[in-house]
Amino acid sequence: MLVLSRQRDESIIIGDHIVVTIVDIRGDKVRLGIDAPTEIPVHRREVYEAIQRENLRAAHLDTSDTRELGAAPARSKPSAG
Amino acid sequence: MEIRTTRFGPVEFRPEDVILFEEGLLGLAECREWVLLADVQNDAVAWMQSLDQPEVALAVVSPRRFVPAFQMRVASRELQPLELDGTASAQVLVIVSKTDRLVTLNLKAPLVINLSRRIGRQVITNGELPVQYEITGTPAPTKKIA
Repeated sequence: MLVLSRQRDESIIIGDHIVVTIVDIRGDKVRLGIDAPTEIPVHRREVYEAIQRENLRAAHLDTSDTRELGAAPARSKPSAG
Repeated sequence: MEIRTTRFGPVEFRPEDVILFEEGLLGLAECREWVLLADVQNDAVAWMQSLDQPEVALAVVSPRRFVPAFQMRVASRELQPLELDGTASAQVLVIVSKTDRLVTLNLKAPLVINLSRRIGRQVITNGELPVQYEITGTPAPTKKIA
């Protein structure tokens, strides 16, 4: 991990398009401002990882698992909508 | 075109059925092309089938069907790559999963699809929506999904 020290209002730049700025420092909490292209998702790490785990868990479901939501799919075709 | 899926066997689709998730999904970054399979006998659940990995499919539902008060609050930067112009052309789906006992819905990170452009994105909503919202009981009566 690259470790840099910054003070309030100072920034680091990642690649050509991502800028992280220290907006505020209060006690043990740091407020970060992130400028990045909108195609690049930016999230708190623990939220991101929780969703990753949940996606991978969901990817193991089979049609029998959703039976209680309604009848299990008997025939599947692409949705028109 | 056809894909041999593990759950549904061979599935035929047209190129215009494909929905592109440019960034894939979280944890499934390589799964970028999907088709949405409807169950002709049950409109409560659909399946997002990955075209990149035939063994990967996600059960999805329309969130309001099961969570009538569901409201999605999401930063505009999350939606911007979808190029939506008005909410009419967007479809919101949430992914179904299961804990040991109950079926759950991921309300925290729904899938938003621009139907006319056939592109989608998994967005992370603001607020305290659960990643595992437990479903008990039966869904609301059928309402046509946009």
